[in-house]
Amino acid sequence: MTHTLHRRGTAENLRGDYALIMLRAMGINDDDYLPKVKEFLRIALRHNPVNIGSEMKGCLYEFLPEEIIAGAKGDSHVVFDNSRALTGFLKEVKEADLGLSVVVSGIFESVDECLEQVGLKHHTGNFSLGIWGKTEKLPGDDILEVTTMCGHGLISTNLVKAVAKEIKTGTRTPEAAAKILAPNCTCGVFNPARAARLLAAMAAK
Amino acid sequence: MKITPDECIACEACVPYCPVGAISMKDDIAVIDQDECVDCAVCLKSGSCPVDCIVFEPAPWPRSLRTVFSDPRTEHKATGIAGRGTEEMKTNDITGRFQRGWVGLGCEFGRPGIGTRFSDVDKVAQVLAKHGVAFESKNPVTALMEDVKTGKIREDVLGEKVLSAIIECLYPIEKFQEIITALKEVAKEVDTVFSVEVINRAEPDGSYPLRKLLDEMSMPYYINGKQCAGLGRPLADV
Repeated sequence: MTHTLHRRGTAENLRGDYALIMLRAMGINDDDYLPKVKEFLRIALRHNPVNIGSEMKGCLYEFLPEEIIAGAKGDSHVVFDNSRALTGFLKEVKEADLGLSVVVSGIFESVDECLEQVGLKHHTGNFSLGIWGKTEKLPGDDILEVTTMCGHGLISTNLVKAVAKEIKTGTRTPEAAAKILAPNCTCGVFNPARAARLLAAMAAK
Repeated sequence: MKITPDECIACEACVPYCPVGAISMKDDIAVIDQDECVDCAVCLKSGSCPVDCIVFEPAPWPRSLRTVFSDPRTEHKATGIAGRGTEEMKTNDITGRFQRGWVGLGCEFGRPGIGTRFSDVDKVAQVLAKHGVAFESKNPVTALMEDVKTGKIREDVLGEKVLSAIIECLYPIEKFQEIITALKEVAKEVDTVFSVEVINRAEPDGSYPLRKLLDEMSMPYYINGKQCAGLGRPLADV
């Protein structure tokens, strides 16, 4: 499940993209883990996330926050579009001492700064060496920057092109277009705020 | 996934939703190319069809693999978790799966947005096996191997197409260059794309020996990635 690792982007547009997951280790600390996952999501809601979601349930663009929390059945996800929110969230999660593992995805340098500000230190790192193989089959970087925000690959290239066209013709705003894409990413790791900016730039070309 | 032809009103609304482009219009109805379809159910779950004529019927083996590898809301019986991989580094603070001096490698086939046949996964797995990697036992691709010593994937699934499948393995950091070189070579032989990831436990001072190695090898890597924050309990002593 490397679903928040290979998010494509530039230093500039990745500054607004932080995805987190809380999960239990099977067979070690999975007894009574659900209340902890739900608390993780409740804490997130106090810091204005741009998305939340829970495995096997869905994301903020399919369900109300309370429905996601009530239906949380497995690992859960939170996305922020700024480092200030991330830092505030991490501070509260640390204080809550929930005992489940938390993984933070984002620009290494920025994430490390946030961790340090709340007295945390990275434990293990996961690095992307990019896309290998028959790369001529891939769409352009502008499309990949949007589609790779769903690590399970559920947001199609053709759908991104279709909504970008609607923005260009003025039939849909970038924000509304991002909301068309978001529900397809069922885990809730898609960042609609960043997507709206990327789609607007794509449509402006 | 199938579209009931008598009910399709040719609105084309479902066409752009397919992650692998398997839906097209033929003779004024939408059709799904069954060989290309990965049974991810995105078309169905999108709610794009105004007359609800997209249907999913669970397939028998080996086609049943398409759904479990492509729809994250399904659970792999081999791992007990949803999705295509394992907990990998995400719970390393608790499991100690990746210890200092070791590198975790993940090759995610078909990602992003292309899909993969298991025949391509097989090619790479066999090369990695020759270099002595240890395949992750809880990974669903490992569960499809006839023999983890050879990496050979069972013959009856090789033609199946899925949205993505991940090889996960482990090896000593001293073998990093050798394995990456072999991976670069076999990458030329596959008919799809795969995203490559490496995992490393941080040293007590916070440095990553693997990052230093990547820099020394002038090996490009993304400026963004994933980091376990060490909040899990009980902590593994690694």
